[in-house]
Amino acid sequence: MSLKDLNIVVLLKQVPVPKAMKTKADGMMDRSGKSMINPYCNAALEEALKLREKVGGVITVVSMGPPNAKQSLIEAMRKGADKSILVSDRLLAGSDTWATALALSSTIKKYLPDTDIIFAGLQTIDGDTAHVGPQVAEHLGFQQVTYVDKIELEGENLKVRRFVEGGWETFITPIPVMLSIHTAANTPRGPSLGAALRTSEDNITVYSVEQIGLTKEEVGVAGSPTIVSRVLNVVIDRPPVELFNEGSATERVGKLLEAVNRKEESS
Amino acid sequence: MSTDREKAKLERDMAVPEVDLRDGASGIATWAQTDGENLHPAALEILGEARRLSEKLEDKTVTSIVIGKDAEKHAQTLIEHGADRVYVISDDRLLEYRTLPYVRAIVDAIREIKPEIMIYTASAIGRDLAPRCAARLHVGLSADCTQLDIGMYVNRKKGQRFMHAFKMMRPSFGESKLATIIGPWNYPQSSTVRPGVFAKLQPDSSRTGEVVKFEPKWVEEDWIQEVVEVQKGGSRVELEKADIIISGGKDLGREGFEMLQELVDAIRANGQVAELGASRAAVNAGLISSDHQVGQTGKTVRPEIYFAIGISGAVQHLMGMQNSKKVVAINIDPNAKIFQVADYGIVDDYKNVVPELIKQVKNGFTFELDK
Repeated sequence: MSLKDLNIVVLLKQVPVPKAMKTKADGMMDRSGKSMINPYCNAALEEALKLREKVGGVITVVSMGPPNAKQSLIEAMRKGADKSILVSDRLLAGSDTWATALALSSTIKKYLPDTDIIFAGLQTIDGDTAHVGPQVAEHLGFQQVTYVDKIELEGENLKVRRFVEGGWETFITPIPVMLSIHTAANTPRGPSLGAALRTSEDNITVYSVEQIGLTKEEVGVAGSPTIVSRVLNVVIDRPPVELFNEGSATERVGKLLEAVNRKEESS
Repeated sequence: MSTDREKAKLERDMAVPEVDLRDGASGIATWAQTDGENLHPAALEILGEARRLSEKLEDKTVTSIVIGKDAEKHAQTLIEHGADRVYVISDDRLLEYRTLPYVRAIVDAIREIKPEIMIYTASAIGRDLAPRCAARLHVGLSADCTQLDIGMYVNRKKGQRFMHAFKMMRPSFGESKLATIIGPWNYPQSSTVRPGVFAKLQPDSSRTGEVVKFEPKWVEEDWIQEVVEVQKGGSRVELEKADIIISGGKDLGREGFEMLQELVDAIRANGQVAELGASRAAVNAGLISSDHQVGQTGKTVRPEIYFAIGISGAVQHLMGMQNSKKVVAINIDPNAKIFQVADYGIVDDYKNVVPELIKQVKNGFTFELDK
């Protein structure tokens, strides 16, 4: 037995570009500015494309976000993903990781029930939680391996290597499985001409909360077990910096190093 | 003035009806991470923090859950470092970490212990384990916290006042802000916390505690994944052990990082322990591997001397290095935030400064370390 023609899902999040990242007064991320595919999700998509090259199958990208997330889904399809689902609804605003995982897993359960493998980014660069992949896996009853940087076929199973403290562990895991991918796993490809020509916005299906079978009580702020209660400016209390900006580089570095080696007079 | 205002606010807050949804859940539980055999240092750090937090609760019991092969051997250490009770889950099959057996173990233990707060380590394993446990328990989870507290939380919209809400604080991204996450509606209120952030307690061999040998109700499917290979010591990057860290930011590019590596090598040639660090942006840009990353999503370090070169000082970076003994910043931008946490600095392009640093180190300059 070997793996063939797999139904592959890639979870993808559109994130603000790092320089444009800012939180609104309510502690939520402002998503109106310049955006990109979360780098970890890009690495996940790359692993999905590599796997499909080996065994064949269909790659569906699933995302949750505002309507402008379509641009990232189009980018993913230009790299080779076959189709996309965008779960988009005002009711989803304020969803924490638990509610997000519920929405994504409900979508997969309803519209992609034969999924064999879910690729997720290890984490996003705007939330950094690493929660959603494992929580989707739990809701779907999938196996999971996180922090993955290597995937091989092993009969009807997968052989995957994950990072742990002080090293790696290699697992044989059956499918269905959720693999969360580390950016160290690969260098994601750019768009290909063939895929770009095939890409059309028609290949993006947008679903509302109702269409994925959830109610407004189950998503957004109402469905989230956690909320942001306050956002504080971080106050840094350290004595002012001593600068060495006068003289030649040799002099400045010399004085700097001398200061670094100076013993504190008191305390 | 402000005290009057605070008093008025407190009065308004206290007028909101108190609710308590704990439904019998009480005390704090922590997960004591092992590598199968040995305790992870963070196991004792979160225990120390749990002990401090417990002073703010009615039930001050701190229970530590330890999972591994021969896990009972850790019970005494955990008690000496603050645990009142240790749940020992020991099985030869737990030598290597696998998600599902661990999730079953934690979830079953939590259902028996019924804590109001559960704290995990935000390690590579903890970040695999905690979200799945939270999903199975239908509770919220706050990730990678750097400060924790317990106190009053008033939600005017819902007309609810909680007296013992768990306040889980983490930096919010792209800015120097700290977000407080709360969720006193579901129990246990759960968080993962950064290794290296909290201080462990001094061991007290006179402390006593209860040891509970706990048997999770594992099913065969929990063990279906097979560990076929374990590679130890994968990363040779030992940021935590370095006395001197030379960190670079994204704008240095490959050429700049090569220069920093040369500086690290020169310091090492003088017999000192130095390591190359990096900002998240530099890692995301592919300039260097993620095991060099310092900050909220990287490592928390506290070396004797930390050089931040071409690093602007985003809060997630500062979180990872602000406890360094001495901080040196080199940045072309005089307004870079990094200068607010630095002790010494040069405002200039790194290209004008680093070669000179390399030269002076190669000429025999050694750093004086307080140890």
